[in-house]
Amino acid sequence: MNRRRLLFAGAAGCLGAFACRGWGQESLNYAAPQRFAKPDIASDEGGLWAMMDREEKNLRRSPLVLRDAKLKAYVQDVACRLGGAHCPDIRVHLVRTPLFNASMAPNGMMQVWTGLLLRMENEAQLAAVLGHEIGHYLQRHSVDRLRDMKAKSAFGQFLGLFGVVGAVGQLAVLASAFAYGRDHEREADRIGAVLMHQAGYDIAESARVWSNLLDETKARDGKGPELFNPLFATHPAPPERRETLSQYAEAMPGGDPGRETYAENTERFLDDWLQDEVKRGQYAESLVLLSRLIAAGKAPALVQFHRGEVYRLRGEGGDLDLALTDYRSAASAANPPAPAFRGIGLIARQRGQKAEALESFSRYLELAPEAPDSAFIKTYMSELNS
Amino acid sequence: MKKLLFIVLALVLAGCASVKKVESGNHVVGERLSLNIQGMWNHLDFPGIKPAEVWTMEGVTVDEFLIYSGIRDGQAMHPETAASGQAKSFVFRSAMQSEEIVSMFEGVLTRDGSSFKLLKLEPYAFGGKKGYRFEYERNRKVDNVQLRGVGFGAVDRGELFAMLYHAPRLTFFPRHKDRVEAIAKSVVIQ
Repeated sequence: MNRRRLLFAGAAGCLGAFACRGWGQESLNYAAPQRFAKPDIASDEGGLWAMMDREEKNLRRSPLVLRDAKLKAYVQDVACRLGGAHCPDIRVHLVRTPLFNASMAPNGMMQVWTGLLLRMENEAQLAAVLGHEIGHYLQRHSVDRLRDMKAKSAFGQFLGLFGVVGAVGQLAVLASAFAYGRDHEREADRIGAVLMHQAGYDIAESARVWSNLLDETKARDGKGPELFNPLFATHPAPPERRETLSQYAEAMPGGDPGRETYAENTERFLDDWLQDEVKRGQYAESLVLLSRLIAAGKAPALVQFHRGEVYRLRGEGGDLDLALTDYRSAASAANPPAPAFRGIGLIARQRGQKAEALESFSRYLELAPEAPDSAFIKTYMSELNS
Repeated sequence: MKKLLFIVLALVLAGCASVKKVESGNHVVGERLSLNIQGMWNHLDFPGIKPAEVWTMEGVTVDEFLIYSGIRDGQAMHPETAASGQAKSFVFRSAMQSEEIVSMFEGVLTRDGSSFKLLKLEPYAFGGKKGYRFEYERNRKVDNVQLRGVGFGAVDRGELFAMLYHAPRLTFFPRHKDRVEAIAKSVVIQ
């Protein structure tokens, strides 16, 4: 019996070692295809390109596009480092939307949302997301998905003819379509990791991206996105993703996180992006994000002011005290954000602390005389003085 | 806006939605807000559109005049539809300060991914009550149109009364702004 166990354990160990070696060799060697020629307009792929070309034309005119040449060139440069020979076909567009998102269309149009840029701690994390999207592009996943959905849609309609049994079949077809999506995501993660490594980035940062996102989404409803509805999740569950990316990082160690370069290129937009984040009204998520940014030492006074805004606007339990602590901390910085004084003034006014309210409002107006709410604050001051 | 248009179209076809003319003269919105208009407006109505009464001069895809009358503590500031998905709900609290109410409107107007920039916030006697007036810019996500807007509001006996008007900034907003300002001046909260 012991010999059998020993033999079984030995065999399992050999299989495991083989499998690990196989994963390393098979998965981590990736050669990108040649640059893509524009497909025939009459083909399904050509139709998809034409659709995306129209979308890109609309996007170029959108007032939501962030038209900053320097930042755009920086993000484009990161995409080019990852895309290699495909660089001339990749066109980055920055979109001012406070959500975590980036996408790449088969025609080379890449959209990067500012909510994503706010959440990245360094250039390697940005490269992780862009590399993933370029992975989809290089493997032409959108064309595969289009064909798969078309085939499944016809099959699903056919199954629909068979009543309840058919409905169950339709559900299975739908589930398999999303599983197909998850396989694409896994492949894009793997290719992204290889591209990151080739471009000299630290792959360990890609696992942190998903870990951070998981913390935010858990804060929202106390559960991760994979638990909302597993059937319709097109992406692998974040914990699985984080584990796999950590394994890639172990297999391809080294690389630069690029923290300073990222901060240099993005810091001047931080105030705008933080304002957009606060306006989302997703206070629990924002608190996780802003606390993480503060812990990472990212523009502490500015981020503390915005965290104070989140606490003040949520206004639950001891939130006003927490807001006041953040406002005071921001206001004591060498170069304090003016609205931190407004925050102190508003809370002091609410609490009937007349002297502190007046002093804070007057400091606010001194630092920001042209603030949009200056007339309103002056009225508060007159009321307090009367 | 596309979703709203689709819903409106579906409801019109189903006979559930209506677009009524609002003639010049005095009108009562809700139970306590009365106003006077000069010139005709279109009042869009269908189940689930509340809490705001939606008026338009040029059509909902162009301009929107939202009238909130008697919103109570704890009431959501936007229609609760399945299409809202997991978007944040913005709820009025009667203890809210004026600047918090304006922040709440910012949230309501950016729920669809649009951007919002406050241009001006000032005191204003709305309906004879101590209130505020604000101006803003909004880039509407769904069709990438740049809008300008003006809002008015006041809280009385724990209920919120407000008006928001926004329209494309180059032609339509300047065309109707004075008309909206005149309506705001005519408001009486009983």
